[in-house]
Amino acid sequence: MALMNYFRIWLACARYSVVRTMMFRFDFIMWALVELFWMVVNVLLVSVIYQHTREIAGWTEYEMLILIGSSMLMQRLLMGFFWSNLFELGRNIRTGHFDFFLAQPGDPLFMVSTRKLDLDSLLNVFIAVALIVYSANRLHLHPGVGNILSFIAFEFCGMLIQYGALLMTVSATFWIIGSQGLEGSYFTLFEFSRLPREAFKGLANAIFVWTLPVVIVSNVPARTLIHGLELSYVPWVVGVTFGWVGLGAWIFRRGLRRYSSASS
Amino acid sequence: MLAAFDKYRHAFLVGLQSSLVYRWNFGIRAIFSFVHLAYVFILWGAAFHGESTIGGFDLGQTLTYFIVILVLQFFIGAFNEDYQISEEIRNGLINQFLLKPINYFGYRASIFISARLVSGLLALVPLILLLPVIGHTLTFPHEDWRLLLGLPALAMSAMIQFTIAYCFGLLTFWFLEIQSFIILSMAIEMMLGGQIFPLDLMPAWLFHISRYLPYYYQMYFPAAILTGRIQDPATAAVGLGFQAFWAIVLLGFASWLWSRGLRRHTAVGG
Repeated sequence: MALMNYFRIWLACARYSVVRTMMFRFDFIMWALVELFWMVVNVLLVSVIYQHTREIAGWTEYEMLILIGSSMLMQRLLMGFFWSNLFELGRNIRTGHFDFFLAQPGDPLFMVSTRKLDLDSLLNVFIAVALIVYSANRLHLHPGVGNILSFIAFEFCGMLIQYGALLMTVSATFWIIGSQGLEGSYFTLFEFSRLPREAFKGLANAIFVWTLPVVIVSNVPARTLIHGLELSYVPWVVGVTFGWVGLGAWIFRRGLRRYSSASS
Repeated sequence: MLAAFDKYRHAFLVGLQSSLVYRWNFGIRAIFSFVHLAYVFILWGAAFHGESTIGGFDLGQTLTYFIVILVLQFFIGAFNEDYQISEEIRNGLINQFLLKPINYFGYRASIFISARLVSGLLALVPLILLLPVIGHTLTFPHEDWRLLLGLPALAMSAMIQFTIAYCFGLLTFWFLEIQSFIILSMAIEMMLGGQIFPLDLMPAWLFHISRYLPYYYQMYFPAAILTGRIQDPATAAVGLGFQAFWAIVLLGFASWLWSRGLRRHTAVGG
């Protein structure tokens, strides 16, 4: 019953986002184009490199494009569902507008995370899927239903892992003033998700593969699509998902206890 | 003449003080840029595995190119000048410049130069700290003409970068929100300016076309002179001519936008 209630709240928020987007149609088109262009830039980088080399860390061109597509897909989902909400959370805590979310009929974490949808990002989900399908086709891959479902589940986990990490970072605003630079630092770190795991050696391997959740989130779904499901990844990804979402939620709730509004 | 110059010298000094207030912002940005450098090292390191050269350049030369590009971003790149100009137009702060005997482009350019001086010097700090790790990859050519032609190329690149940002800021006379324009343009500028990959790695016909566009002269051109990707002084001299052409065209366009924009502008308040 409670679940149904939350679903209805989410639906109302989604409806509000659609109406709002349609009010600013030009803005919607421009932002969709912005994201599309950045996706094209990443694809072109790979295409240019493969004009001069046959593989990158053992990955062929179309395998790399599947990796890029998997990374883009997860990032578009994250941005579509959560980015604006988390980005505004820091500002709302500073200004005191966070009070508004506390007065709403639901769990504060749910309310702050789901208030807005970014339709421009969700629109580009189709482009990312098209890139993956095209590349899989060029590789003559015929993944079964099980592999496709595993791929979707890993993408979903990847989105949740990124959500947890971002929530943790933004929740720091409860203690420190300002989370400026969050956007830039996120995109800088997220670049590593477009690299094959095999390219990381030594310290880079320890940081970007094992400590920060930036490589695993894109490499595991891409590998699943290319080579099939490797069961050893399942506990790793599930564990990391619970770990980051749990850590993010825990820090958010600890911060919530400190929150004392900002109005005069 | 000297009095006119003095105004901009003071604007430069004020900009210097203002930039020093934000030294931590510049410093943190510089550190994150070096995280990006780790991405570049890993990607190109893997791409060069089994290849001695790519596009005629070895791994050291390619990484040197990216390090130079990164440092140049802090010395000659436009950061948020477009947003600052946009804010001044939107908030009406620009009105004060209309009443004073100062050229707005000159004023903003003075602030830009001071800000880049601070950000550029701050970017050198992490670079110097990293030198023991990345120093062995740096391979520069030694011909004298590179510095002789590279320095004016750098100055004109800075002018092109700033003028493009200035033009985007002026779009606020027509549009309330210009952020999407700026980020869209940034993607194009980064790609065609050689910040994502060296432009000479593109297919030959595409590279040829890119040499006629202003983006080529924003970052790639001075970096290519300094790192040896442009191999003879004659090509560099012709490039300087094209670069001067684009600098003049963009300055003319900025001046036209300013005069057209002012016609639409309404100053309100007492």
